[in-house]
Amino acid sequence: MRVALNDVSVRFGQVLAVDRVSLAIEPGEIHALVGENGAGKSTLMNMLFGLVIPTGGTITIDGVPRRWASPQDAIGAGLGMVHQHFMLQESMSVLENIVLCAEPVGRFGFVDFAEARARVGAIARTHGIGVDLDRPLGRLSVGERQAVEILKVLYREADLLILDEPTAVLTPQEKSRLFDALRSFRAAGKAIVLITHKLDEVMEIADRVSVMRAGRLVASSPLADTTREEIGRGIVGGDLPAPRTRKAQEPGDVILSVDALTVARRGRDVGPISFKLRAGEIVGIAGVSGNGQAELVRALTGLEPLRSGSVRLCGERIDSLDVERRRRLGMSYIPEDRQRMGLALGASVSENANAGRDDRAAYAAGPFLKHRALARFARSLIDNYRIRVAGPRAAAATMSGGNKQKLVVGRELTRGTPLVIAENPTWGVDIGAIDFIHGELMRMRDAGHAILLISTELDEVIALSDRILVMYAGEISGEVAGGEASRDRVGALMTARASDAFGEVA
Amino acid sequence: MLDLLLDPSFAASVPRFVTPILLAALGGALCERAGVFNIALEGFLLTGAFAAVLGAYFSGSPYLGALAAMAAGMALGLVFAEFNLRRGGDSIVVSIAINLLAAGLTTFLLRAIFDVTGAFSDPAIAGFGTVRLPFIEAVPGLGPILSGQSVLFYISVACVPLLHLFLARHRLGLRIRAAGENAEALRAGGVNPRGVQLLALVACGALCGLGGAQLSIANVNLFVENMSAGRGWIAVVAVLLTGGRPWPLFFIALLFGAVDSLSFRVQGLGLAQQFTDMMPYLATLIVLVTLSWWRAKRAKGDAS
Repeated sequence: MRVALNDVSVRFGQVLAVDRVSLAIEPGEIHALVGENGAGKSTLMNMLFGLVIPTGGTITIDGVPRRWASPQDAIGAGLGMVHQHFMLQESMSVLENIVLCAEPVGRFGFVDFAEARARVGAIARTHGIGVDLDRPLGRLSVGERQAVEILKVLYREADLLILDEPTAVLTPQEKSRLFDALRSFRAAGKAIVLITHKLDEVMEIADRVSVMRAGRLVASSPLADTTREEIGRGIVGGDLPAPRTRKAQEPGDVILSVDALTVARRGRDVGPISFKLRAGEIVGIAGVSGNGQAELVRALTGLEPLRSGSVRLCGERIDSLDVERRRRLGMSYIPEDRQRMGLALGASVSENANAGRDDRAAYAAGPFLKHRALARFARSLIDNYRIRVAGPRAAAATMSGGNKQKLVVGRELTRGTPLVIAENPTWGVDIGAIDFIHGELMRMRDAGHAILLISTELDEVIALSDRILVMYAGEISGEVAGGEASRDRVGALMTARASDAFGEVA
Repeated sequence: MLDLLLDPSFAASVPRFVTPILLAALGGALCERAGVFNIALEGFLLTGAFAAVLGAYFSGSPYLGALAAMAAGMALGLVFAEFNLRRGGDSIVVSIAINLLAAGLTTFLLRAIFDVTGAFSDPAIAGFGTVRLPFIEAVPGLGPILSGQSVLFYISVACVPLLHLFLARHRLGLRIRAAGENAEALRAGGVNPRGVQLLALVACGALCGLGGAQLSIANVNLFVENMSAGRGWIAVVAVLLTGGRPWPLFFIALLFGAVDSLSFRVQGLGLAQQFTDMMPYLATLIVLVTLSWWRAKRAKGDAS
C-alpha cells in the first residue's frame, strides 16, 4: 500500500500548523519523520489518521484520493497508529484491549473471545511479540503496554503503522526489541512511519527520513543520501548546539542528606533510599518511569509523608515539615507536570511568576499584593529567560509548552535556594528550550547550588550529572560517576531484570 | 424491634422496596461505567412513576403502563444526552435541571391531565398483580419472600446477572467500559464515545422508568407528588459506592430496600414519622462511612 500526502495543510485559528506538505510513504520502508516539538509532525500524522481534518490538499492511497471524517475510515483503509500517550484501558485485560473497537462477535453481539484469542495469538507469534493476553493491563510495564498497542494495530490488519515517539518511555533494551519487531514488519511489506526527535534512532533504523520545521517539510530523502549533521541542521534551522562543557569543581558541603527513606506505595513500598547531595554538584536519578522516582520526589518535597527514614536539608531535619517550610529552608522544585503542578493555567503569567514569593515585603503590603512590583518581576523573568508571551498579564495557558516550562524554571531558579529538585525539566519542550534549561541548571551548579535531577531521559542525565544514581523497583540499583557513564552501563542498571515484552523474533 | 425484623410480612415487603432502588441503580451503573455522571436518577424515577400511571390508566394494561414509563425515562435520557453530550453542559447542572423539571412537570401534568392536586388514584389504573411461583412458594423461610412479588421485582433481579454478563462480554458492554475509562482511546479506535454514552443514558432511562412503574402501578395503584421520595438519590449512592459493578450493587440495593421497608414498619411502633423518614438516609450515611473506613484500612494494609 502506497500512501501519499499531496500539498496538505491544516490551520488552527491563526496558526498554520501544517503548511503544504507532500510526502510519499512506501511499503516495506521505515520512514522517519523528525522535527522539534511543535514542528507539526504529530498534526501531520493525526491528519493522515483522520483525527484532524485537513483544510487543504489531498491524501491518496495507491493513487486513489481518499477523504475521511474519523479514525474509523482511516482504520478501514489499513492505517494504524501507536499514539505517544497510550490509548489503553487500565482495568481491562490485554486481550480486551486489543480487540476493543473491532471485536469479533458471536450471538446477540457478545464478543467471541475464543476467536479473538486465536487471531491475536497468531499475530503475536508471527512477529515474536510475547504478552500474556489474560493479564490486566494495569499490571504491565511501559514496554509491555507498547507491545499491546502494536498488537492492536496489527490485529486490525494495518498495512501502514504510524508510531509517535515510541521509544520515549523505553529502556535501551526494550528499544532494541521494538526495533527488531519493526524490522519484522518491514520484511512483511508493511509501511512504517516513525515519529521521533532522536537522531540516533533515525540513523539506526530508518530507510528514508523527512524533516519538518515550523509546519513545513524542509527535507525528505533516503537515509543513505544524507548525514546526521544535515538532518540536525534541518531540524533546528541551523547548527546543533555544541556539547556542554562542565567546570571542574570540588563539591562543597552536604546540602541534602537522605537516610534510609521509605515511602508507602500500593503493592510494594519505595526504598530504603540513602544518598547525599553536595553543593556545586548535579546528581542525576535515572530510571524507567514508575520505579519509585515520583514517590521519592513527593517525599522530598513534602507532598507525601515518609514511612520511615530521615531527610536533612542543610543539616536540619525536614521530613516532618510541610511544603512551605521546606521551601523557606532552601528548596526549589521544578515539577514534571507543569500543567497541573507547576502553573495555574487560568492565572496570569505575573501571578504564576510570583507564586510562593508573594509573602515578601517587596511584593505585599499586609494582605494586599503590590501588583506593580509583581508585574516588574514577571517582566524580568520574561526578559531574562526569553519567554515568548504577550506580557505579564497574559494567561499562563496562552504560552507554548516550552515557554511554560521556562517560566517555571525561571521562577524556581531565581529563588536562589541551596537545593533545586528538577523532575524531568525538559519533558516535551523543543530543542531550543532544552538547551536553555540545561544551561541554566549547569549555571546554578557552577554557582554552588546543589541540583537533584530526576529524569527518564537518559541523554539528559548523562549530559548534566556529576554522579548518576539509577532507580529500579523502588531502590537505588547502582551509582555511576558522571564521567564514566555510558548508555549501556546505565541502561543495564535500569532493568536489573529485563522485561520480555518483545521476545526473540522467530 | 426484633419481633419486627423476624415478622414474615416484613420480609415479604422488602422486595417491593428493593425493586425501584435496584432498577434505578442498575441504570445509574450503566451511566457510571460509560463515564456519564448522571445524578438525575431521582427525576427519571419520578417521571417513570407518573408515566406508568398515565399509560396504565388510559390503556387499561399495566404492561403498557410500564412501557410508557420506559419511554418517558428514555426520553429524559435523550434530554440528558442532548444537553450534556451534545451541547457540553455540565452533568451536575443538567442532572439538577432534570430533577427539578421532573418534580415540576409531574405536578403540573397531574393537574392538567387528571385535574387533581397532591395525588391521583382511580380504579381504572391497571396495576401489576403478584406472581406466584408454586414450587418456590413451598420453600420454608425464603419461599414466601421470593414468591408473590410483582413481575418487575423478578425483572430487576434478572437484570443483575444480565448486566454483569453484558458489561463483561458484550461488544457494547466492552465499549461502555472503555468510554468510562479512557474515552480518547475509544475515539482513536474509531468508535465515537458519545454514541456509546448516549445508548447508556437511554438504557438508564428505560431501567429507571421501570423502577418508577414499580412505585406507582405495582402494589399500590396511584401517583403521589414526589412519590420517588429520595429513592433515586439512594440509587446514586449505591452506584457510587460500588463503582457501578452489578453484583455489589445488588447487595447494597437489598440493604437500602430493607431499611426503606423497615422505616415504614417502625412508624407503627409510635416513632415520629420525621425520624423514620430519616432511616434510609441514616443507613446510607453509615454504609458510606463504614465502607470508606474499611477501604482506607485495606489500602494501608496493602502498602505495608
